[in-house]
Amino acid sequence: MTTNKLYILSTVLLLVLISTNQVEAQKKDTSSQVTLANEFYHEKNYQAAANIFEELISQGEKNGYLHYNLGNTYMRLGSSGNAIRNYLQAQSLIPRNESLNANLRYAINQTQDQLSPPLGGFITSVFFWVGSTTLLEHFQVLILFNLTFWCICVASLYYRKSLWKSLKSISLTVLLIIFFSTGIKYHQLTNQKLGVIIDKKVAVKSDRSAKNITLFELHEGAIILVRQEDDEWVHISLETDKSGWIPKDSISF
Amino acid sequence: MQNHSQKKIEYWLAIQVFIIIIFSPINAFSSNIQLSTSVDKNKLTIEDSIELSVIISGVRNPPSPNLPQLSNFIVRPTGSHSSTQIINSQILASVTHKYLLIPKKEGEFKIGPVVMNLSGSIYQSLPISISIKKPNINSNTNRTVYTETSVSKATPYMYEQIVYTFKLFRKTKAINLNLSMPYDESFFRKEDLGKSKRYSKIINGIAYDVDEISIALFPTKIGKSIIPPSIMELDLVNRTQRNLRRDPFARFFNDPFFDRTTQSKHKILSTKPIKLKTKPLPTKGKPKHFQNLVGQFAITASIGKENLDAGDTTTLTITVSGIGNVMDVRITSLNLGDQFKVYPDQPLFKKTIHGNQVGGEKVFKFAIVPFSTGRQLIPSISLDYFDPDTNKYNAISSNSINLSIKPSVNTEKLNLIQPKTALHQKNNSTVSILARDILPIHTRLEDFESDTLVKNQQIIYIFGVLLPVLIYLIAAGYIRYNHQMNEDISYSRRQVAHRKAMQKLDQLSTSTLRSKDFVRELSQIVREYIGDKLNLQGTAFTAKEVEEKLNKNTFARDKISSVKNLLEKCESLQYSPFVTLNENSLIEETTKLLVKLEK
Repeated sequence: MTTNKLYILSTVLLLVLISTNQVEAQKKDTSSQVTLANEFYHEKNYQAAANIFEELISQGEKNGYLHYNLGNTYMRLGSSGNAIRNYLQAQSLIPRNESLNANLRYAINQTQDQLSPPLGGFITSVFFWVGSTTLLEHFQVLILFNLTFWCICVASLYYRKSLWKSLKSISLTVLLIIFFSTGIKYHQLTNQKLGVIIDKKVAVKSDRSAKNITLFELHEGAIILVRQEDDEWVHISLETDKSGWIPKDSISF
Repeated sequence: MQNHSQKKIEYWLAIQVFIIIIFSPINAFSSNIQLSTSVDKNKLTIEDSIELSVIISGVRNPPSPNLPQLSNFIVRPTGSHSSTQIINSQILASVTHKYLLIPKKEGEFKIGPVVMNLSGSIYQSLPISISIKKPNINSNTNRTVYTETSVSKATPYMYEQIVYTFKLFRKTKAINLNLSMPYDESFFRKEDLGKSKRYSKIINGIAYDVDEISIALFPTKIGKSIIPPSIMELDLVNRTQRNLRRDPFARFFNDPFFDRTTQSKHKILSTKPIKLKTKPLPTKGKPKHFQNLVGQFAITASIGKENLDAGDTTTLTITVSGIGNVMDVRITSLNLGDQFKVYPDQPLFKKTIHGNQVGGEKVFKFAIVPFSTGRQLIPSISLDYFDPDTNKYNAISSNSINLSIKPSVNTEKLNLIQPKTALHQKNNSTVSILARDILPIHTRLEDFESDTLVKNQQIIYIFGVLLPVLIYLIAAGYIRYNHQMNEDISYSRRQVAHRKAMQKLDQLSTSTLRSKDFVRELSQIVREYIGDKLNLQGTAFTAKEVEEKLNKNTFARDKISSVKNLLEKCESLQYSPFVTLNENSLIEETTKLLVKLEK
């Protein structure tokens, strides 16, 4: 082995070692922060707990349980709007968590408008599992079935029997379904913005000005769809065809 | 037959010409095309509106006219109609477009010329002068319709309820009423005071119908503020006087359904802005935990049951009622010490209207569970509010409640394993829900790892998608190769020809054969190679035959000559009596030739 090759190999090994150590250190730091926040929560120092959870999330930590705990903390602080927003964010990461779904239902019941997240249309009712699975899980299943399909393709080339051809058709159908399902999930996460009212009461206006007619009123914790946004105003809609404009700082999304 | 088809064409041509005449903007009916404008009045007050008529005559289906810039008016199109008259065999067509102009301010204005572009020709009307004056508000007494607004207090305290009232006085019927009562949302919080009231009132001997609507405003900021003018838009219905006795059908047709004797007039009535000055609440005597409650309030407390067992639950109900901002009352804790476990419920607010003021009742419910036995006291709960009528802070308290708590009858047993029958009995018992709460936070630290895809995972996922495809392509190529090798003999011979010849050459180089046998063997290897490449049976062919075969298979001329030379050389060495042979160079020459043939 030449000196150059030895040098490159040792550099790569060092980098891997450093990055692994960094990841481990970061994990430890996150764990200690979560432990501290949980302790604050149990000591009923909810504001301190919320500050730590918010700090972790702002640092880029994306974890369903982090949002769930922050949602609980906001519930204790009496801010149902922020609590529901965090529960919804947690739901996109841990959709089948029973405690989360129970707390979200409870929080919605405490609001004046009691608006639940939109159920989705015909496509989401056909692909019924989309709501209860994460995008990551979709990718994992997609990769698994992709591997299965191509293995069956190789086997059908080798054995050349009708059974393998049938298996190939079935696996292709399943793969396409999973592919579309992943696409729908991705579309939901990137294009369908859910927002939550954080002000006690918000007047929904017919256009982007406080002087316009108030169409209807929403209260803290109301879950709405965000259609369009500009610097100060957001166009929102409810499932019941009601829509209008509200100030941007009265909503969290 | 030809005559019939010619008639048909003529018939269709006539229809097409007719359609073109009807639908194209032609001026054939009259050579005198005119565009004129008129208004129903040119002197009016800010409360009135103008009906602008744009008449285009001498043309059928004209393009829409372009109105001038009318920044001082709100313009509403109210429709258009066309008419065609035949007078002395002359056709006179005209189209009238109507607009409602609502003035925005007083002054002298000019409605500029209305312009129409008809097939490149420009037509325009004459401008019209309009004079808009202030309405004579001082003499409300004789007016057909007028409005008034008032507030219950011009200098309210912070959070004190003020009632803003709008009144419409009218002598005639009004339809299409549209009221806008704006208020500064940054200064006030609004509460509705129910539906509008309608009553009659005689002012200076004249009977007026009065529509009255009020809203309650709660100031949320200290300082001067203005309630902007309220604007009422309506259509006044005036009945024209006709002699009903002469016309026997007049009574029947006077029905509003036929609307022959009524005229409507659009009006926009604006009120004066109202100035308010919000005062801060007095600091003297202000309680420490004052909740900004302003009005008149009362507080009561009641308990579900006064005699209960330890561990049993009962509901404490605290009701705050009164006039003012009752909705802002907060009771978060009861200060019951460690003697009780308290589960608060969501408070309920019920709004009520007292005369012309908003009030209501806010009910707080707490599920309480006593821990210790004996006589326990739930102390009175006090609340402070400011009464704007007396300018004083008042404190109100609920009644205290005595509880008698007996020791629990059921003692806890350590039944670690229960028989099935006991379990069944337990299932039948009813469990009362004391309170509902959120489920606890998650504490398993392993679950708090970030769920985002790090770069390495992304690469693995991309590989996961692409790698199976690559494996398939490699496997497919390999399977196809194997398949051909087994099924196609010529292909398999061609594929192995070079490898087989090279192996034999290797063996020959290490052999100890005599020179002639060596040459024969070498010649045999080359001929076998050619046989495999061309899928020929046997190896008994001469150099000449090899040349012919290679020529047929379009081998390059230099390659053919090299093969032929080598084979001829072998033949000559094989049959010459004395052989001096350099075996290595011959093997090397053969190897080079085989490599050359493979290319």
